[in-house]
Amino acid sequence: MGLVQREIERAGIPTIGVSIVRSYSEQVRPPRTVFLRWPYGHPFGEPGNAAQQRTVVREALKALVGIAEPGAIVDLPYRWRREQYH
Amino acid sequence: MSLFSRMKHRGLAALATTFPSLGERLAAGYRAERQDDGVPWVPVNKPLSRSTVALVTTAGVHHRDQQPYDMHDHDGDPSFRELDFARPLDSLMITHDYYDHADADRDLNVVLPIERLRELAAAGEIGAAARLGYGFMGHITGPHLETLKSRTAPAVAARLKKARVDAVLLAPG
Repeated sequence: MGLVQREIERAGIPTIGVSIVRSYSEQVRPPRTVFLRWPYGHPFGEPGNAAQQRTVVREALKALVGIAEPGAIVDLPYRWRREQYH
Repeated sequence: MSLFSRMKHRGLAALATTFPSLGERLAAGYRAERQDDGVPWVPVNKPLSRSTVALVTTAGVHHRDQQPYDMHDHDGDPSFRELDFARPLDSLMITHDYYDHADADRDLNVVLPIERLRELAAAGEIGAAARLGYGFMGHITGPHLETLKSRTAPAVAARLKKARVDAVLLAPG
């Protein structure tokens, strides 16, 4: 994912990626990343949980605008299946 | 790739989803190639409320009438699929043996949150959700990495540029 992200940014479009494997993002160095320690196949959370999915989308967009340092990884604080979303 | 090895990948993928720590160990066994040529960067200079945001996924998503990703090549499939979100969501499906997508099969927003993005557009938090998105499969290794970097990823970038999207949100499987 990070390799695709780098090429899109290189073409002149700002990008944000959601990562669930921090070591990959550290190696591949996409421009902007939010990281969640969540299982594979669930970057936006659980099926049917719109509030959880929306939270991740909003956090990603917030990081898109907020990250000032190229290559930064923002660790999001949400624990898997142990949070309430509104 | 044999049927047996495809079943093995699916079995490991299911276990890694049940036990995230196993997933981390499987991930540690594959080391992504470090990119040493700097970090590409363009500033965000348009407010989100006026920005068209596009989605790109490496979760193996494609339309049912498009060719599935090649699961028989050990190095993966570096090609991409254009996803048209004007079509019904159930026209999309996932072909990817390297992670358990049972939950994403039930609710695609788990890997590709097009409905959430549309809600944010309707609420005015973003300008619009782009009509077209792009699908890849993750887990690309060997010679296909170069194809991805020099051909297919730049081709998608050019299409996004031509469509004048203002920002791109990417997510894996």
